[in-house]
Amino acid sequence: MTDWNALSDEAFRRQVRTFFETEYPEELRHLPHRAKFAEIRQWHEKLYAKGMVAPAWPVEYGGMGLEASKLLIFYEEQQRWGVTRGRDMGVQMVGPLIIKFGTQAQKHYWLPRILTCEHIWCQGYSEPGSGSDLASLRTSAVIDGDYFVINGQKIWTTMAHDATHIFMLVRTDSHARKKQEGISFLLAEMNQPGIEVRTITTLAGEDEFCEVFFDNARAPRENLVGELNKGWTMAKALLGFERIFIGAPNLAQNALVQLRTIAQGRCMFNDPVFRDRFAKVALDVEDHAALYSRFADQLKRGEMLGPDVSMLKIWVTETFQEITELMIESAGPDGGLIGPLQLGNVGVDVLANFYKARPTTIYGGTNEIQRNILSKAVLGLPG
Amino acid sequence: MLRGSVRTLFERAGGIARARNARDKGWDRQVMNELAHAGVLGVAAPEAVGGLGMGLTAAGVIVEEVGRALTPEPVVSAIALAIGMIQRVCPGDAMLATAISGKIACALAWQERGLRGYSDQMACRFDGKVLNGSKAWIAGAVGADQLLVVAQNDSKPVLVALDADGKGIYSELRRQSDGSQLCDIGFVDAPGKLLAEGSVVSEALSTVVADATALAAAELVGVSAKALELTLDYVKTREQFGKPIGSFQVIQHRAVDLYVAQQVAEAGVSEVLARMHVFTDPRARAREASRAKARACSTAKRITRESIQLHGAVGYTDEFDIGLFLNRALVLSAWLGDAAYHRARWMDALEANEAGR
Repeated sequence: MTDWNALSDEAFRRQVRTFFETEYPEELRHLPHRAKFAEIRQWHEKLYAKGMVAPAWPVEYGGMGLEASKLLIFYEEQQRWGVTRGRDMGVQMVGPLIIKFGTQAQKHYWLPRILTCEHIWCQGYSEPGSGSDLASLRTSAVIDGDYFVINGQKIWTTMAHDATHIFMLVRTDSHARKKQEGISFLLAEMNQPGIEVRTITTLAGEDEFCEVFFDNARAPRENLVGELNKGWTMAKALLGFERIFIGAPNLAQNALVQLRTIAQGRCMFNDPVFRDRFAKVALDVEDHAALYSRFADQLKRGEMLGPDVSMLKIWVTETFQEITELMIESAGPDGGLIGPLQLGNVGVDVLANFYKARPTTIYGGTNEIQRNILSKAVLGLPG
Repeated sequence: MLRGSVRTLFERAGGIARARNARDKGWDRQVMNELAHAGVLGVAAPEAVGGLGMGLTAAGVIVEEVGRALTPEPVVSAIALAIGMIQRVCPGDAMLATAISGKIACALAWQERGLRGYSDQMACRFDGKVLNGSKAWIAGAVGADQLLVVAQNDSKPVLVALDADGKGIYSELRRQSDGSQLCDIGFVDAPGKLLAEGSVVSEALSTVVADATALAAAELVGVSAKALELTLDYVKTREQFGKPIGSFQVIQHRAVDLYVAQQVAEAGVSEVLARMHVFTDPRARAREASRAKARACSTAKRITRESIQLHGAVGYTDEFDIGLFLNRALVLSAWLGDAAYHRARWMDALEANEAGR
């Protein structure tokens, strides 16, 4: 087993970079859509053989056990090379929660199956009436003997149609004093009569989101993770790395490189107006990266991130959108084209970038919610 | 610690109220001497020549405080332009020690007017004894004892020192929005002393202008930081419809956007200051400086304008302090190039850099 943390940061970066550059299939680089597991199975097997499926997990559970600085490097290199995140809900979300709050039996059963991708997970949080106001969720789980019986509906469940299991927040006490207090964290198998999945076609024409309907679906009682009615606190405790990850500069940086390609191909740099607007977004990206590295340094020093980290997501997602608008403008009459725009021997998929940028200001807590957080928790504004 | 002691120094001197006093009285020699005594003027100069040798990062911390306190003294022009120039072209001259110690105040004059703004041609001539020509936009000229003028002798660049109250010097002063004076000077057979000549002058000039540009950015970061603080305090206390206006979501989101912009500016500008010295190539150094100034100008513009709006009608009065920040930001943005100017320069440098590779 490799002791990754024994390497210097630079040596670690080199190793990870070389691994991605030599082993990652070219045709899967910068995938414009979420991959189904079948598409990336062979890549997953390579990662698994190297013990690199779960960078953040402790070594004892089969993870890489990376310290903060190396974890950031791993993600930076992954995004730099356009390596797909894969079907990582298990590794990123449910695994860490089981490691932190699960019983020995739960760890023993679930964790190895996450690593092998025998189980592929999806996240059941949002509901039709509970988006930004997630704590108002109503999908219920009622104890019936050895089982929970689940009724309700989840929505925006990413890749539920390609998942074997769902981890979800469910209401287990409808009389709780505060709505956050009656929520539990529950695991369920997707392949059962009480669950129905329907895909939602996005603006980009992709089927990555789903609705999941629960009609007396069942989950064994031992699938409850942590204490009953403590799911909300647990799910929140999990957001740490997630919050800097979602504000990382890479999406905007990649888009900027592609914008340059189009702009050069279309001679846009002769236009002083375009030059100014390009410089503006390019500097927005560069200065955001400076801010990002301040937060990254905080993590590297072993400090917790505060609510102020929300600012990264606001800035980078809105910059990303602005860049894609410039891409469309640069494409001129080809601005409505589906698929890659050919510029010499390179192709740039303008609309794929544009569509990819749209939900970034919505998911992971809308930018308006992020502003509410900053307003109250950082600026101390009243009410 | 550095930040704290400079902040205390400015508070003791009279704080923001000094920005109003300076309209009539100009900057304060006494405060400049105290700064010199604390080592501030030599903060970026090497220890070997009597400075603190703490580099641009420390200088940036100091001038952020200059910005926060709306200090009227020409600190950036003293540190980066005058002392920066002397330390590079004639470190052995006694003038360096006297400038760092605050005994004399120097102002560097290098820009000239053209038909539509900056001139690309250097028309000022020095024949070895006297100087002829004119210089424009000279920061720190009012109250200076010595003028350092970049001129031409034959076709060589030269740096010339003149007594500010000497013969043949005609200055024209025009008032700026923050009460300071914009100074142009004409020289008619003005006697001067040659300090240095040749490429050492032109190379040093591009370095010190880049440093001054980046430090002006840091000063702007200080201006917008304090303006934002005052505005946040105001929206927390000003009540309408029976509650603080800061409890309305529309105000909250606008305040957050200003805060985020300010954080980005602080991070970007301090990253530039921390790595400026790495770039010995003048073009790369100028590119970094442009990045900082473009960011600081656009952020200060946004924060000072929106601060007036968030203050409502009182924001438009001279009585409220917030307007002083707007007026200082106008001057600092115009000095050494505004956001659009520096974005253009940054783009040019980016392309030149890639073409050169």
